[in-house]
Amino acid sequence: MTMATTASARGGVPSLHALLRIAGWIGLGLIAVAVSLSDFLATAPANATAIGPLLAPPSADFRFGTDILGRDMLSETLHALSATVRSALPATVVTLLVGALFGFVAARLPRSLALTLRSLVGILASLPALLLAVLVIGLTTRDWAAVAAGLSAAPFTFVRAFDRARIEERATHSEYARATGISASTLLRRDLVYEFSDTILSSAARALAAVTLILSTVSFLGFGAVPPHRDLGLMIAAAKPYFLQAWWTAAFPAAALTLLILFARLAAGLDEGERA
Amino acid sequence: MSEGRPIVEVQDLGVIHNGTTELEKISFRLEGGETLVLLGDAVSGKDALLRVLGGYAKRGDVCSGTIAFGDGVALPAAKRGKSDLRVVYLAAAADAPLHPHASVVSQLSRVIARRHGSPRASAREELRIALERFPAAPPFADLKKRPGELDAMALSWALLAAAIAQAPQLLIADHAFGDLTPRSIRAIVAALMAEQKRLGFALLYAARGLKAAAQFNSRVIVLRQGKVIEEGAFAKLASGQSHAYTRTLFKALPRPLDTPPGRNATRGEPLLQVQGLDLLGAKTKSGRGRDGITFELRRGASLALIGEEGSGRRALVRALLGLDNVASGRVVLDQVDMSILSAPMTSRLRRRIAFITGADDALDPRMTLWDTVDEPLRAHLRLSREMVAGHRETALKRVGLASYDGRRAVATLSPYDKRRLQVARAIVSSPFLAVIDEPLRGLDAFAQSILTELLEDFRRQEGPAFLIITADVGVAQALAEDAMFFKDRKVVERGPLRDILKNPKDEETRLLIEAARPVTD
Repeated sequence: MTMATTASARGGVPSLHALLRIAGWIGLGLIAVAVSLSDFLATAPANATAIGPLLAPPSADFRFGTDILGRDMLSETLHALSATVRSALPATVVTLLVGALFGFVAARLPRSLALTLRSLVGILASLPALLLAVLVIGLTTRDWAAVAAGLSAAPFTFVRAFDRARIEERATHSEYARATGISASTLLRRDLVYEFSDTILSSAARALAAVTLILSTVSFLGFGAVPPHRDLGLMIAAAKPYFLQAWWTAAFPAAALTLLILFARLAAGLDEGERA
Repeated sequence: MSEGRPIVEVQDLGVIHNGTTELEKISFRLEGGETLVLLGDAVSGKDALLRVLGGYAKRGDVCSGTIAFGDGVALPAAKRGKSDLRVVYLAAAADAPLHPHASVVSQLSRVIARRHGSPRASAREELRIALERFPAAPPFADLKKRPGELDAMALSWALLAAAIAQAPQLLIADHAFGDLTPRSIRAIVAALMAEQKRLGFALLYAARGLKAAAQFNSRVIVLRQGKVIEEGAFAKLASGQSHAYTRTLFKALPRPLDTPPGRNATRGEPLLQVQGLDLLGAKTKSGRGRDGITFELRRGASLALIGEEGSGRRALVRALLGLDNVASGRVVLDQVDMSILSAPMTSRLRRRIAFITGADDALDPRMTLWDTVDEPLRAHLRLSREMVAGHRETALKRVGLASYDGRRAVATLSPYDKRRLQVARAIVSSPFLAVIDEPLRGLDAFAQSILTELLEDFRRQEGPAFLIITADVGVAQALAEDAMFFKDRKVVERGPLRDILKNPKDEETRLLIEAARPVTD
């Protein structure tokens, strides 16, 4: 029967989806462990030069090899990963507060005001997030890079939260609730308790992926982290002159960055091709 | 023509699914031209029977007994291969059996083409011919729309036409018409029976409620928890039932010729006064509004707004609650003119209104069972946590949901449980007006009986006025004393329901009453 076939087909997809999400959260958990233990796992302090020979390939002594200044790439990658995550976390909080929470509340403003706000933020969301981040850093200082990344990722999150809240607001159950005198504030509280709390983790993971990419790119372009504080973007940028001869100088930080973003996106349950 | 020939003979059929017995030793024989109605709720075992007969058993089904199709030998149900008999499945439009993004005609003609092994163009022609056999069916051109663009009745006609175009020998209908209005059911069942007479196929109709079963007036098997508890002609079962479960089921049978309760002598002051409410929107050329709807609902009274879909009943309720604007008219609720109230004041007045509807999305699916009942108390009154819990427990006990885990999400409840939860939410609101919109829609007969009793109890204890929206005179008869009949957004007849049932003056009223009457009467 068509219905049965469709149902079984539908039944299969969520389980794979759920498995991927679990894999994403496990991956993020492992990264969190690596970050919190980075000082113990790393064999050398951050930015310690002349630990080994210059540009030594991966070996038993230096598992990720060394860079042009003789720094241990494994230790450097762990420190840079830690620096990236520590910047990305406050940026994620900014994105959630300015994007998700504000978007959720803005959808309940008077209709004309809400739609105007939605249009304005929609225009911001159509601009490249990277340019927004660079603009905010330019208007402030590099110390504000995390806030800049959070703000630049916020428009997407705002639009997403706003649209979801509008759907809920127009749902049949909301109309029945209003018809029996349930106030707008009670409905907002209901949506915050159920919708926002249900989606907060996936929204956070989605925002984490977005701000990590923005922060790393900003650093890669030279607008973010400043030596001696190196994050993954800056490490990849530093490897530019010689990564064709010494691939490991760029490959390991890039792999760490890729895994962080991939796990965050899987944890968020992002579909193929969906943008943060 | 296979009239009179054996079509299917089931002997001691049993189905165990993943260790749970779904069907126990059921036996019946069905001949060409014969109709058998399987009556039971969601766990009665009729679904298991249909899927085994239809040849789409689930993984994990363990079948026993034998099935013989046509003149063939009886084969073990567990090893049954594909039958040469043309078994056709007719689904309910409400179950959304078609893909939402493809046109109805393309999907149905593909099914017919596959059945006959014919080109799609000729299958399309078969569908057109079958559809045109039904005068009340929508035009064939409408089938180019997607399923969501057709109403339930039009889609039901299309599904029936597709089933007939497959020239069935055994037609299995799974609650195919139960969610339609009584008038629609009467029309579509009459058309189906005419086709059955013409083609001689056997019909196995699985019914949750009695509305459609009453129109077939055929042999009925009553199933409960996988067992046959009663069997016989519908007319005989309707006149007397030997099993208590069957008695409860048949309480839901609409009997519009019975005498409904008279007006309550203790009715109070006017609660709702509607004057000249214009549902037609536009004003007349003279600039004055046309004669709108005027009526009054007193405290504790019950008024049924009866009519087909789109007749204006819901529009009236939305207008008088201020959810939609109207061209003209005045609504006075609880001595207050709604038109002069600010939005917050309107909201305060609405606190004493409860809704109980047949729409399963009327409750927030994310909320828990407890939160759903607590919300009106928390939102409208400043009560301690203990008092809220006390009110909630009392209400849930009254509707039979007290034993459920209160942290369960509404989304996980059955339609029957959601309906009972709506009643519990209404009970804690202590409303002066309860708007009850097709409360029994989609429920099985047992659930319909229980819910009707709950609503009667709710009215008896809390004493709200009832405003009932329904297309089923039987529902109105059970819950209301007065009625207004609607057609084309106008009131065509009004008055005490008892008087109207005895002597309907308008043709529309007569048709609505006639449709709710079982063919056994």
